[in-house]
Order: sequence, then C-alpha cells, then structure tokens
Amino acid sequence: MPNTHKPPIDFPAILASSVHDIKNSLTALRALLGQLENTYKDIKPSEFRLLEFETNRMNSSLMQLLTLYKIDLSQFSLAIDEHSAADILEDVVAQQSTLLSLSNIQLITECYGELFCYCDSTMISNALCTLVNNAQRYCLNKILLSADQEDDYVVFCIEDDGQGYPGSLMSSDYKHLPQIDLVTGNTGLGLFFAETIARLHIQSDKQGFITTDNNSRLGGARFKLYLP
Amino acid sequence: MAMNLSSKKILVVEDQAIMRETIKHILGSFGARLIVEAESGINAITAMRIDKFDIVLCDYNLLRGKNGQQVLEEARYLKLLPVNAIFIMVTCEQSQDMVLTAIDNKPDDYLIKPFNRQQLLSRIERCHARKKYLSSIECEIESGNIYQAIHHCERLLQLDSKKMRLQLLKIQAELTLKVGDFKTAEEIYQDILHERELPWARMGLGVVAFFLGYYEQAIKTFQDLIEQYPVMLEAYDWLVKAQESLGDDEHALSSLNSAVTLSPQSILRQKKLAMLADKTDNLAVAKKAYTAIIKLGKNSIHRSSSDYSGLANVYLKSNAASEALKILYELNQQFHNDPEAKLRAALLETEIHQMKGNKALAQQAYGKAFILNEQFNKQISRELRLEMAKTFFLNGNAEVCDGILNDLVKTNIDDKSFIKDIVTMCDAVIGENYAETLIQHIKKELVDINNKGVSLFQEGNIKGALAVFEQAIAKMPNNYTILLNMIKIIIHDIKTSRPDPEKIMSAQSYINKAIQIGIPHDQISGLQAELDAIQYKSNQ
Repeated sequence: MPNTHKPPIDFPAILASSVHDIKNSLTALRALLGQLENTYKDIKPSEFRLLEFETNRMNSSLMQLLTLYKIDLSQFSLAIDEHSAADILEDVVAQQSTLLSLSNIQLITECYGELFCYCDSTMISNALCTLVNNAQRYCLNKILLSADQEDDYVVFCIEDDGQGYPGSLMSSDYKHLPQIDLVTGNTGLGLFFAETIARLHIQSDKQGFITTDNNSRLGGARFKLYLP
Repeated sequence: MAMNLSSKKILVVEDQAIMRETIKHILGSFGARLIVEAESGINAITAMRIDKFDIVLCDYNLLRGKNGQQVLEEARYLKLLPVNAIFIMVTCEQSQDMVLTAIDNKPDDYLIKPFNRQQLLSRIERCHARKKYLSSIECEIESGNIYQAIHHCERLLQLDSKKMRLQLLKIQAELTLKVGDFKTAEEIYQDILHERELPWARMGLGVVAFFLGYYEQAIKTFQDLIEQYPVMLEAYDWLVKAQESLGDDEHALSSLNSAVTLSPQSILRQKKLAMLADKTDNLAVAKKAYTAIIKLGKNSIHRSSSDYSGLANVYLKSNAASEALKILYELNQQFHNDPEAKLRAALLETEIHQMKGNKALAQQAYGKAFILNEQFNKQISRELRLEMAKTFFLNGNAEVCDGILNDLVKTNIDDKSFIKDIVTMCDAVIGENYAETLIQHIKKELVDINNKGVSLFQEGNIKGALAVFEQAIAKMPNNYTILLNMIKIIIHDIKTSRPDPEKIMSAQSYINKAIQIGIPHDQISGLQAELDAIQYKSNQ
C-alpha cells in the first residue's frame, strides 16, 4: 500500500535504472581501458589484469543483484531450452578471455562427446563466469572447466590448483548467505547465486544443485553444478 | 580458425562514440573493412536503405528517437535486411521486459554489454553457422513456398544433427501450423513434450487447440503457462485471441490489459487494446491506450492516422466534442498529404457537427468526405470504407452506400470476422435483413461465375475457363473457391500440355496466395503434391 505521508519510491524501477546506468558506465570504462591497453605495444602493466578482474566482478555482482531481486519479487522465470554444453563452456571461456590473456593462468576445457542440457544458458554461463573469475584469483596457474553426464544430470565442474575452499564455503547449505568475511572480502554471493539458479532447474522430481569440495584433480577447490 | 570478416558489410548502431570506436576496433582486428556507423535509429534505417548489410550490431537503448527494437521491426517490415543477414541486439542487461517486447520480432541473437572481442566474435560465428544451416529453409519461406520449406526441414532432420534438431522441429511445427496441417504440428509438439516440458512446445499445443476450435482447452493451456511463466507475453496474446473467439470480450480485455502492463512499449498490442476497449465501451481504457499509441507512434513504422481518429471517436462517445475536434485538428496537421487521414477526419467531423447541431459545418465536412471517397475509393482500407458506407447511408446517400457494401462483401466473402463486422453495422444502421440479402445475392453471383468457368473447362475450353477465373480473381482476389479452381485448372493444363515453367510458376504463386489467405491445409496439400510431382518429372 502506498504511504500517504511521503511520496512512494518505486524501488524496482529505481534499481533497474541504477543498474542500467552503472552498467553503461562500466561498459564505457572497459572500452576506455581497452583503448589505453592498446597504446602499450608489448609488456602491459600488471594493473590491467587487476582492473579487468575487478570490472568483471562488478559486472557479475550487478547482474546477480538484479536477477536475485527479480526472483525475490517472483518476476523471474527461466528461459529454458536445449543447449550444447560445449557452447556454454565456450561462452565462459570467451567471457574470461581478456583476463586470461593478461595473466599466465591456463584455462583448460573438457567436454565429453555431444553433450546437451536443458537450461537457461545465459543464467548458467553467468553463474559459471563468476566462479571461474573467482578461481582466477585463488588458483596458482591452472583451472579446469569441464562438462559431463552423471546419471540423470549434466554436470559442470570447475577445478583449480589453489589452496582449496575455506571451511565456511563448504557447508552443504548454500541457501543461506554465509557471513561476509571482512578479511578476505569474500561474500559467497557467487555460490549463493549459482545455487539459486541451479534450484530453479527442475525436471519431474529432480532439481538442480551445487556442491563444493577440495577434491580437485589439480589439488585445489572443486565446484560442481548439477542440472537435471 | 577464427572467422574472417573482411568480406562482410557490417553496420554498427550505437549512440555512444566510445562504444562505436571499441566495436569498430574489435571488428577491425578480425579483418572487417566494410564498417558503417550510425548513431541513431533513423540513420541506421537510412544506411540500410542504401546498403545491404551482412551483419547489423544494434544497441537497444538508443538515446534519442527509435530504440533498437523499433529499428529491427522497421528494417524487417521494409525488407531492408537480406535473408541471410545477421541482426544482433546489444543490450545492457538481461531485462525480461525488453526481451519480451521483442517477441513479435526477435533478433538473431542478443549480446549483453560489456563484452570483449572473443564474445563478439563467438556470437557472430554462431549466428552465421546457424543461418547457413537453415538458409535453404529461410529462402523458401522468404519466397512464400511454405511446403518446400517444410520439405527442407524434413530433409535436414533426417541428417540427424543433434545440435539443430530442436530448432528444426520448432520451425517445422510453426510452418505446418502456417499451412494449417494441425495434426502434424500437434504430433511434433507432443513428441517434444514427451521428452521435456518446454514452454514453447506447450504453447504450440495451445495454438493447435485454438485453430481446431477447442477454445476452452486452448484458454486453459495459455492460463497455465502464464501462471508458470508470468511474463510470457506470447501466451497472453493467444489467450486474448481464444477469449475473443469465444465471444468473451470482457475477459479478453482484461488479459490484454495485463499484457500491456507488462510491455507498455509494444505499439501493436496497445492498438489491439484500444480497439477492444472501444468495442466494449471501456472508454477510459481506450483513451489511455490511444494516447499511449500516439506517443509511441512518433518513432514507429506502425504510426497511423487511425490512432488519432480512434482517440477522437472515443472523445466523441464520451460526449467531449471539443476534445475530439482538437484531436482531429492534430490529425490534419500530422498527416496533411494523406487522403486516408483526411477522409477519417472528414467522417468524424461530420458526425461531431451533426451531434452539436451545426448543420452547415456538418454538410461541409460531409461534402469533403464525399469527394475524397470518389478520388481514392479503392486505395482505402476496408475498415474505413465500412465506416464511410455508414456515413453515406446516414446522410441519405444510400446508393453510394450500396456500392461500397457490395464491393466489400464481394472481396471479403470468406473472411468471417470482417463479414460479421459488416453485418453488425448493417443491422444497427440500415435494417435487419439488408446484409443477409446482400450476402446471399453475392454468393449466388459467385456460384454462377464458378459454374460458368467449370462448364467451360468441362467442354474442354481451358483458355475460356482460365479467362473467366482470371477475371473473377481480379475482382475478388481473396475468394477461396475461385482461387482453388484456378489452381486446379492450371495444373490440369500443365498435365495435358507440355510442362511450361511459366505455368508451373503461376500455379505455385496461386498456391502461395492460397496459404497466405488461410485456405485450409487439406484443400491445398493435394494440389501442392501434384505440382511437386510435375516439377520433379520435368526436372528429370
């Protein structure tokens, strides 16, 4: 009900236009960064890598903010269709390509055979991008991104060779946002978002979900996203 | 193995200079040399009129004038995009209202800002590969050869590419719906739903139910979809159609109102709302919708003088004659070289002045309408001509009224909904039996022409029969029986004489016309098969 004493604030509209404005600025900022970068012939200052990483993160956070807000208002529904898992991996690699080119991190992809899944590909690749972006921060120099079939699920998996997840991010309950860790600045929003999106994928009695552990084939953290 | 863009003509539509520079730089790094820039929607359309582009990258949020969606709609409407052209909409966020406004007219793909060079290239490559794969189908659709397009779908499906399978099935189902082969469409959708609950396949089943006349079942399907996907505008649009077909205008209006609330930018949906609200005397809703349409129309190809006359008419109905006159004044200002606009204005002025008791002014306006009608009679839309017939009758000129109605019934005899409009008007204004008698009379006339053509044909006078039907088609281009008989005779003619490519083409163009005006599948498919067989033989 509108409050009669003060003019109502249309928060959804304000949020949408603010996100829109910030995204425009972010896009312009990245365009400027690109131009600046082109003025360096060979060796580029390492600050570019950090700038790329941070703008990527800002962008993911904004997108997650808007999507989660809409889910909360029940104004969101997935756009489900059949997609090739290889295409989704390719999207993630493309999105991360600039950052990768500025670092010495290797992103390896593995996709077994002609694998197809039913999902909202934009949302799934957004969730994966955020987590690969984070992995770039915590790994030593290798990330493995793969897709495979496990029983009735298609599984996307991100593995790295870093220190592994801290205990706080390995609880099996991702439905609640973990407390913000002020030391590392880690909010766990990326995992929360991935879990939320995964759970919206439902096929008959099966529902999508995520798992995190430190059983990476590369020795670090392992994230898995299951789609029915 | 990156795609080389050096031979591609590319249009970049973007209002921010810095973004244009960046996109150009990226495209250049992939070899692109032929890049044209446009910073506004109008300039984009102008550029597309001058050049045929292979790739268009268009920003959705263009600051002034048309937005990206309007650029796309206009380009498609004016046929400025070649069949194989790629149109990618660049958007700022994955906003559903935007993506959903686009449902009437989707781009080939979306690209969300900010994006890097790899993302842009991968998007273009994927679109290119898909377009190339589907090009044989698209080309046939573009030329109106729907049955051939379906053949191509079936052929590609047999190659069993898992990647393209669902897309092909989706296109095939839509095409079979288009030619009225509802059974096949239903089978395709059922098979898909058996594998997975996909909203577009569920939607397809609802559409099949609609076309088969199972309106209640269709309504249930669309309502369930809306409950599950509250922003699925296509489901709303079909729900409205189904409710209207049941004669339930009140519910149709409320469904349409919900859809418009979700996508206020869609001018066509607003127009539909305005007309339905006007018809059901919800004048406040109609007024709001017409006002929105006039505002949206400023940047739209769908702008029409009827938006203004519609609003004026609503004012007239609400007894606000001076408001109505003000709108008509604006109409004349906005469309000063358009005879149809002038005619609309004159008809309404006649009515307004009559209501106000200004006999002299009413007479003057009526005189204007009379002259315009004589000058531009046939070029005017049928709805407006029906309006005119009414005004002529009310002003004591029954003869001109008769002429118009006769012509309208003749050219639209198979269009049930328009014939219903004619009957409603006649019953209300002229008298109970007038329309019925007229329709019976014209049906008999048709039977006579048809009999004459058929008997000439049976006497072996093919030339004479063709002449009779050709003449009839010129007069009544949308008549089912005449069109079907024409096709039958041409096919018979080809079979009994040497196969003549020109005759084959003529038969195919009449078949395409038949599909276009909605002649049912079971009446056309046999003829198409016969023609295909002839063509196959003559190619051997």
